[in-house]
Amino acid sequence: MASILKVDDLRGNTAAGNVTITSEGGSATMQLQQGVAKFWVNFNGTGTPATNDSFNQSSLTDNGSGDFTHTYTNSMGNVNYFSVGQGYYNTGGNSALIQWTLKNATGGLASYLLAASIRVDVVYLDANQNRTNYDYTGNWGSVLGDLA
Amino acid sequence: MASELRVNTLKDASGNNSVGMSTVASGSAKVWGLFNGTGTIAIRDSFNVSGITDLAVGKMTVSETNAMSSVNYTTALRSDLDDAAGASRTYNPEVYARAAGSFNFVTYSNSAEEDHAYDEVAVHGDLA
Repeated sequence: MASILKVDDLRGNTAAGNVTITSEGGSATMQLQQGVAKFWVNFNGTGTPATNDSFNQSSLTDNGSGDFTHTYTNSMGNVNYFSVGQGYYNTGGNSALIQWTLKNATGGLASYLLAASIRVDVVYLDANQNRTNYDYTGNWGSVLGDLA
Repeated sequence: MASELRVNTLKDASGNNSVGMSTVASGSAKVWGLFNGTGTIAIRDSFNVSGITDLAVGKMTVSETNAMSSVNYTTALRSDLDDAAGASRTYNPEVYARAAGSFNFVTYSNSAEEDHAYDEVAVHGDLA
């Protein structure tokens, strides 16, 4: 019989931040919180950047061409988190792979990969992985890791 | 005391935002990790990673605590480093071998294999 649980707040019984779910194959368990994306965004980077949809983003800042800062509503627990993203460009029937990626600039990673925000470049990569920043219409990224 | 709740669907208390437990299970990342691939390689933070093995310059094996059910899973990777001038740089690693319980990846810089200080990986798919 199908069952539905209506609840606003799921917490572990032993530890509030640890709710366990059973794997698809049934032979393992995993911590629900660890597998959930802590941030995702889909945005239009042209003109005044606009967020099409997002989760855990409090603001999107335009720093320049292909240069954006996503500020989290709830900060990550530290800077040791995973982030990856892409973009899409299509003109005249020709499409190209775009990357939403950590900003490459002086100041180093510590300046751009923060617990409270991430500053990214949206770039076109040529065959030699040379980067060109640009404002594209379709960009998206996500974050996995520990929330504070 | 440990407790177990068996349910097909989760909703908020208003009856909205419905999500099936199958979506929760299948949609959750099964692995994520941030590693230091330089010197003696190290796990900075991770989930469902039992260990990493240094294979060669730029090459590493990621082993999973709980294995995937098959090799038909997705991987997403990126690597970052601060260059000699102190500027952040980002590269595209590649997965070149995969098994249910592990995968190997390689990081490059200008087509040459190179160890990077921040290697980021994530896996989606079905656990065994």
